[in-house]
Amino acid sequence: MDTVLSLEAISKSYGRIQALKEVSFTVPRGSVYGILGPNGSGKTTLMSIVLDVLKANTGNYNWFGKGNHPSERKKIGSLLETPNFYHYLSATDNLNITSAISGRGTPEDISRVLELVKLSERKNSRFSTYSLGMKQRLAIAAALLGNPEVLLLDEPTNGLDPVGIMEIRDLIKSLAQKGITIIIASHLLDEVEKVCTHVAILKKGTLLTSGHVNEVLAHEDIVELAAANMEALKQCIADMGGYSALKEEHQRLQIHYPAGTANMEAINGYCFRNGITLQLLLNKKRSLESKFFELTND
Amino acid sequence: MLSLLKIEWLKIRKYPAFWWMLGIVLLTYPGINGIFLNVYQQFTTRKDAAGSFAKMVLGNPFSFPETWHTVAYFSSFFVLLPAILVIMLITNEYGFRTHRQNIIDGWSRSEFITGKLMDVLIISGVVTVVYIATSIGYGIYADADNMNRWMEQLQYIPLFFLQTFAQLSIAFFLGFLVKKAFIALGIFLFYYLIVENILVAYLKYKKIPITRFLPFEISDNMLVAPAFVGNFGKDAKAGYETALALVPQQAVLTIVLTTLIWLACFRLHNRKDLS
Repeated sequence: MDTVLSLEAISKSYGRIQALKEVSFTVPRGSVYGILGPNGSGKTTLMSIVLDVLKANTGNYNWFGKGNHPSERKKIGSLLETPNFYHYLSATDNLNITSAISGRGTPEDISRVLELVKLSERKNSRFSTYSLGMKQRLAIAAALLGNPEVLLLDEPTNGLDPVGIMEIRDLIKSLAQKGITIIIASHLLDEVEKVCTHVAILKKGTLLTSGHVNEVLAHEDIVELAAANMEALKQCIADMGGYSALKEEHQRLQIHYPAGTANMEAINGYCFRNGITLQLLLNKKRSLESKFFELTND
Repeated sequence: MLSLLKIEWLKIRKYPAFWWMLGIVLLTYPGINGIFLNVYQQFTTRKDAAGSFAKMVLGNPFSFPETWHTVAYFSSFFVLLPAILVIMLITNEYGFRTHRQNIIDGWSRSEFITGKLMDVLIISGVVTVVYIATSIGYGIYADADNMNRWMEQLQYIPLFFLQTFAQLSIAFFLGFLVKKAFIALGIFLFYYLIVENILVAYLKYKKIPITRFLPFEISDNMLVAPAFVGNFGKDAKAGYETALALVPQQAVLTIVLTTLIWLACFRLHNRKDLS
């Protein structure tokens, strides 16, 4: 498969603190790649390294299979941490600089991206007069300048209001549909789950898992059951066997099966034959959130 | 190269401090030299013996070609004005975190420093142009009859440029290392105005002849005090002649020191984390 970015055993430490431990994964072209992890897990450090803002202690990264030359970075629209602009310049003047350095975008394109992030009315105001949300919008506009084939976004919805968050999510979806590769770091799992095709989960600098969303999430099937008499249900299911784990949560019984082995019909039939009428029978797909908590909790 | 220059210009042209600095330099250089010219004229127009003695000893330091030397010497004390701007230009990049953004957008680390090197060169150039204009202005005003000697002692133009560039490079280096504008400025002013002067006085008192190798003295010694200083007796004459003879050596040392400063900037910037 065509690869946009590959990481090979990237390690980084700040003094005695190891921020990244031999992290490797590849980002296929056209994917929406979510990098997840709790605060301090190394997401931003990782993104900073592939943008040459930080130097890895060991390991390599490779853009478009061509190495890590600055000219490769010019093809990537990036938003890293906080929006970084010249405070005394207007939005347009700042984007002129972005455009001049990266070679992305034209004067018309600057107007287009400012329109897209709804900053047109304030495009001639100094950056220092902007609100947090407006600064973030300008950073997104800078990333979108010149329609880059790859976007790298670190917490893109930081500081935005609920409507802004929704707009950016829709924007990311529509860009993904156009085939643009998007690498996105976020701690808002709900966000990521709605848009990502691939995920990598980091914890304290270690890569816990990475790959296609379906592969990462579909390690097991979970069937959720409820009946009027929960005690009897529990006894009945315990006798049934064939599952990998049994848990009770909020007056519901959860039966865990190895991926693809849950048979809803058989469970329903078994309960009925044992005199239990189910109030609820649900094949529950694992949410990214539950997977995330499972992986990142000690 | 040209695109780097264009981008630095995009950063500077709407930066109010740049225009403020230019305005202040435009006022200061003619102003300070004007004060000295005024003092000189008051002295030498006196009809008594002291007046004619002063005229004899001082000559006319503002007439051509002496104006190139005199204006360079007096103006060079005010390098701290453009130094403030140079420090602001680099510490702003840290403050706005645009030193990271420029790299993210596709510059190499070396391109970033090259851009800043160009800034310092441009500012040195602008200051030199103000110096040239001031010299010419006072040269004509002080003694229009000597105008035909304007092409003598033109070496003071490159020497003034080199001294300005060298001292602004030290200011840049401080801003580059310290990252905070006010701390860098404080260190610069404290060292430039106080520490080095005390060191020079102490070393001269102790007769340890190394003062001309101190960071600012290296380039200060390219622009020795105006020629009339050599007219106050035998010792002064000898001292002036010695200082003048050392100028080529000081120029080479200045170039070496400045080159080392910029090499250090490139080397450090290519290796460090941009946090």
